[in-house]
Amino acid sequence: MIGTSSALIGAVVLLVVILVWIRADLRSRHLPSVLDQWLPDQGEAAEVCPPEFVSQIFSGQDLRFISRLESPDLKRHFLRERRAVALLWVQQTSAAIRRIMRRHLEASRLSADIEFATEARIFLQYTQLRLICCLLILLIELAGPQRLHGMALYTDRLTQRIGDVLREFASGARLREMDGA
Amino acid sequence: MEPGESMGATVRLVPVQEAYEDLLNRTLSRISCNLGRLIYLASTRDYNTGNYYHEGLASRFSPEVARKALEMAHRQTFYKVSGFSLEDLASELEAYLRSTRENPQEFLRTWQKLEPYRIAIPTEVNLTVARLFTSNLRLALAILRSRQEPGQTHR
Repeated sequence: MIGTSSALIGAVVLLVVILVWIRADLRSRHLPSVLDQWLPDQGEAAEVCPPEFVSQIFSGQDLRFISRLESPDLKRHFLRERRAVALLWVQQTSAAIRRIMRRHLEASRLSADIEFATEARIFLQYTQLRLICCLLILLIELAGPQRLHGMALYTDRLTQRIGDVLREFASGARLREMDGA
Repeated sequence: MEPGESMGATVRLVPVQEAYEDLLNRTLSRISCNLGRLIYLASTRDYNTGNYYHEGLASRFSPEVARKALEMAHRQTFYKVSGFSLEDLASELEAYLRSTRENPQEFLRTWQKLEPYRIAIPTEVNLTVARLFTSNLRLALAILRSRQEPGQTHR
């Protein structure tokens, strides 16, 4: 009996999580702007969102200001807008991590001296980041970005760290190739 | 490092920096708010080519140096305005609205409908920051409209 109840509760929780996920995914795909395709080119320098903006997106300062205005409509509008921006940041971060990892795998294939321990650490960090991004999408939808300030900054720092490590790895591999040639 | 290389880089960078400071001192300092400066800088960009042009600056330096200085100023002002809190952005928008001397209700309605501030986004800026900028401006417009016409929804 207890087993059946637990299975039922588990199934309901799983269903709720899937529904929230689908909602978050749809929201981030159909952000409420009509001209998003027009938005600027994504050059190398523009790939990463500067940390001060990550902090701003997930900060509670603007929400406190909006709450002081005592307008439920404005508050709803604000929460919807900020949630969409936060989801876009997670999507961008997730895409950046995938891109960094893809470049690393391409470089590793050409490299002769691969250290297993380093590769395992990179892979673990990559998996951790991907999981955090999935979790962030769910939590943004459930709790709103303002409660996830610390988690977002942690994700941003970790993304930058993994990017730096892999850039160093790539330049080291190039130097070794040049020495070998 | 090759001496020629460093000299070349200095020769290339110094006029752009000079042109940038000239632009700040002669033109941008006369505009009362950052949002106004951003709109002005965006207006120096050709819609068809994306190139910037400012006659006075181009004649004092060169069209290429002027273009780079304008591009730099545009990007910096954009990041500055995008970094404003919602409260500060609403005040900036209010200051800009006053500086245009247009009818406030008409201005706010038109800006909400046409979203002309979208053309103020420079090329090659981060997509999330660009999205934050348009989102915050939409909210600032709704805040100002709610102050003008309390008790109504202004999305």
